[in-house]
Amino acid sequence: MSALGGPAKTAGVQPPTGMGLVISIVLIIIAFALAYFLLQIAGLLAVVGITVGGILIGFGVHFVPVGGAPAAMGQSPGIATGVPMLASGAGLAGLFAGAWAAPLGLPIALASGAIGGGLLMAITCTMVNIIYIFGMGIPAASGKVDKDPITGDTFPEYKTQGTEGHGLPFISWVGGVIGGALGGLGGTLIYLELLDIYQAQMPALLSATVEQIAPIAISLAGVFAIGMFLVNAVLVAYNIGGTIEGPHDPKFKRAPRAIIASAAASAIAGVFAIGLLELVGVF
Amino acid sequence: MEEIIFGIGITALAGALATIAGAAEDTESDIGSQGDPNSQVQLAPQMGYVHRIFNKAIAGEPPAYGLWVALGAGLAWAFMAMQMNPILAIVLGSALAVFVQGVYATTAYLGRTASLAKFEQPVYIDILKSMTTVTMAHAFVAVFATVTMCHLIISALGHPFPLPLLGLIWGIALGAAGSATGNPFYGKERQYQHQKFGAGVPISASGNIVRYAEAGERNSLDNGFFSAKLGGPASGICFGLIVFFELWRTVIFEPLAAGWGAIIIGVVAILIFAIIDRYIEVWARKTFGPYVVPGATEEVSS
Repeated sequence: MSALGGPAKTAGVQPPTGMGLVISIVLIIIAFALAYFLLQIAGLLAVVGITVGGILIGFGVHFVPVGGAPAAMGQSPGIATGVPMLASGAGLAGLFAGAWAAPLGLPIALASGAIGGGLLMAITCTMVNIIYIFGMGIPAASGKVDKDPITGDTFPEYKTQGTEGHGLPFISWVGGVIGGALGGLGGTLIYLELLDIYQAQMPALLSATVEQIAPIAISLAGVFAIGMFLVNAVLVAYNIGGTIEGPHDPKFKRAPRAIIASAAASAIAGVFAIGLLELVGVF
Repeated sequence: MEEIIFGIGITALAGALATIAGAAEDTESDIGSQGDPNSQVQLAPQMGYVHRIFNKAIAGEPPAYGLWVALGAGLAWAFMAMQMNPILAIVLGSALAVFVQGVYATTAYLGRTASLAKFEQPVYIDILKSMTTVTMAHAFVAVFATVTMCHLIISALGHPFPLPLLGLIWGIALGAAGSATGNPFYGKERQYQHQKFGAGVPISASGNIVRYAEAGERNSLDNGFFSAKLGGPASGICFGLIVFFELWRTVIFEPLAAGWGAIIIGVVAILIFAIIDRYIEVWARKTFGPYVVPGATEEVSS
């Protein structure tokens, strides 16, 4: 128990508190009601889509193996950078691909977004191992599990004394790709939902055709999608305490708490994103 | 057909620009000591190891490059809207963005190093004078190459995002690729060069970075020279491959199977990288073998 009365810190499961759960659900309901009030059923659907996108990003970040600063010295496994940075790098590559494929329809755009994020992580994780192995002569070793759940490789004998492990075991590689794909999928979903709303609203507001407002609508939707990405990635960074090895890490079990937080944050941010034009219209 | 060949050419050019950007980005961040290894540069004086390494952890590499590339792209976009020639606009935009990087680098070095005054870490004015410009030069290459790549993606391949937004996205991805690939090489292999090769750095050794070079004290230009041999090029290949595969699968294979062609090729590419990764992982386990305590090796060999 901390001085502020928060839940006790444990390595593994940290379920959401009852109070947190109730507040989040109330906030989500308020956000949905506001969305309905602003743009009726179209607004409600958009905010639901944005919330689902946010949940996908928040859940996806848990898969990404982030080692933070210690990973740069071979003191802990994972990729040597921060959680929000890597996750947003992957998710934004997904957003780039998804937005490009948007004219081909929702399923292709979403799949393209997911593959874009997954591909960035696949290449990055492979290059991390190439540097560790060919540049530093260090084989991968997890610090959290003794055996790779996928390949069955054992780690304790490969781990350097005095470290928590190093490199990227195969399970972390797979986690990275899944995390990147979920991030890309979520980011693209948010972008497409916002784009639909802006393309429907803007022509009347600015007395212009859909083609004329396209650059503004695309830019606004893209900027909000990026913002939403960072909101969810930073939330998760707090949840996992800055580092995680991937789906095999005990911290992964904290995901439910982050999912609820991501849902509440995305729903509220989503209302602001779709209500923006209403606000502009007032002035 | 002509359109596809044009697309392949642009894809290859964008991939090459990304490779240059990645290599310059990692070398810049290692000379400035910006990425995660900066934790050791900041820690060293606190452990009694006063050094002459540049220290400018302004932000993580991805947000920092997100800012600089978006700034360069935004300014270039504004210049182009004023009917300026695109090449001149991109050069000017990148140059102005690099001045912002230089200001950040200067204030970061002075601020971070001054905060270590009670550990008797001096602020070296000669380090500030000689190294800030070198990081700025590398940052210019990285920002210019990335903005040019973004401009190509929009004007030649027809991506819907405006230049500043694409600059932000690819700037963040550039920083993510550069820090993920290049940081371990600088952090472990250079800063802890005196530690045993083929093993991680024990946590107890934290802060004890290498401070002396072949002649005199080591500075960050020596580190840039070292990073440029592997960490930089590997980061370049990483970012180059990301950009190339992302564009290549879309430009060539999107017309196939009503758009699903690009996705199938993406999945195939991911599987190929999975095989490469698993192969080198097994190769390393077989070739290097389990960890041996340094003392134990000496006993065996004697």
